[in-house]
Amino acid sequence: MPSEVVAAVLEADAAVIAAERRNAVVLAKSITIDNLNGGGNRVIQIQDVFTPSVTEGVAAPVETEVDRWKYTALAGDQITLGEDELKGVKCLGAMKVYSDVADASCFISVGYELE
Amino acid sequence: MLELQSKPQFSVVVPPRTLQEGYLVHFSEDWPSTHNAVRAKTFRIDVTNQVPYDLSYIIPTGDYRDVDFSNGSGTFQENIYPENVNSLFEVLVGFKPGNFLSQWYIPAGKSISQLEYAQMYPDLDDDEKKYLGARQPKDSPYDDPRIKMYLVKDLSPLIMRLFTLEGVDYEKIVVGLTINKCKMREIEAPSQDDLLKAKVIRYYDYLRW
Repeated sequence: MPSEVVAAVLEADAAVIAAERRNAVVLAKSITIDNLNGGGNRVIQIQDVFTPSVTEGVAAPVETEVDRWKYTALAGDQITLGEDELKGVKCLGAMKVYSDVADASCFISVGYELE
Repeated sequence: MLELQSKPQFSVVVPPRTLQEGYLVHFSEDWPSTHNAVRAKTFRIDVTNQVPYDLSYIIPTGDYRDVDFSNGSGTFQENIYPENVNSLFEVLVGFKPGNFLSQWYIPAGKSISQLEYAQMYPDLDDDEKKYLGARQPKDSPYDDPRIKMYLVKDLSPLIMRLFTLEGVDYEKIVVGLTINKCKMREIEAPSQDDLLKAKVIRYYDYLRW
């Protein structure tokens, strides 16, 4: 299972955990938020970024962002969530992670699978 | 204890799921004159080549996309059809799981699932009739495809309409194709035995009567 560690960044700079793959979806399998040395509580979100296909209803689709998961990590805390807690967190396009506040001391590790 | 297992009295042989080299195919007489190159003729498969190809679409809930397997530069055309009269493409279609259905049309606009009573045809705007004839992903799984198409040059466009059901914002629909390219050689005077062995490929009109 591949994984990626990133620091907490704002939505505008959202960190790419897994790039979009045309014939697969990205499933979140584990996540650890290390906020032991963070500057405060941090709201962490997993974001799905993709451009839908041309359809009967939409002739010119644009890039779309959908938040798939959200968690508030308390300052001085570290949590790990596994496959059961993340069941159903599926990204159709690229999987990105961001925080409500940029914090170089708050780390997020995400394990994922392409299915 | 020592046990000697007895020899099985019979074994089950699973036939190949695709046309193989040396197989015979026969195109029935109901093919129109526009397909004289194959109509009422028998061919031997000389060469095969299996080409996998994945198609993928992200479709919002309640919306649909037509996948046109024919050749051309249209937005919805996927260019899967053969270009040579001596080619037959046997295409297996499988779906990865998801919250969607597929409807099938050939030619465009004519459903293969229409019943005989008036208005009993698939209608995506109708909450009940959208399910009429709809194929689900589990009907033809990605790893065990059960939908097959037989494509020859200049066949009318075969359309697969994919639509996302309610309950999700978007769905990613992954369609796995295995295109079994078959190079055919005509048997000028097939024997009765050849005709009995040949796989009969009928024109699509037989699906509607």
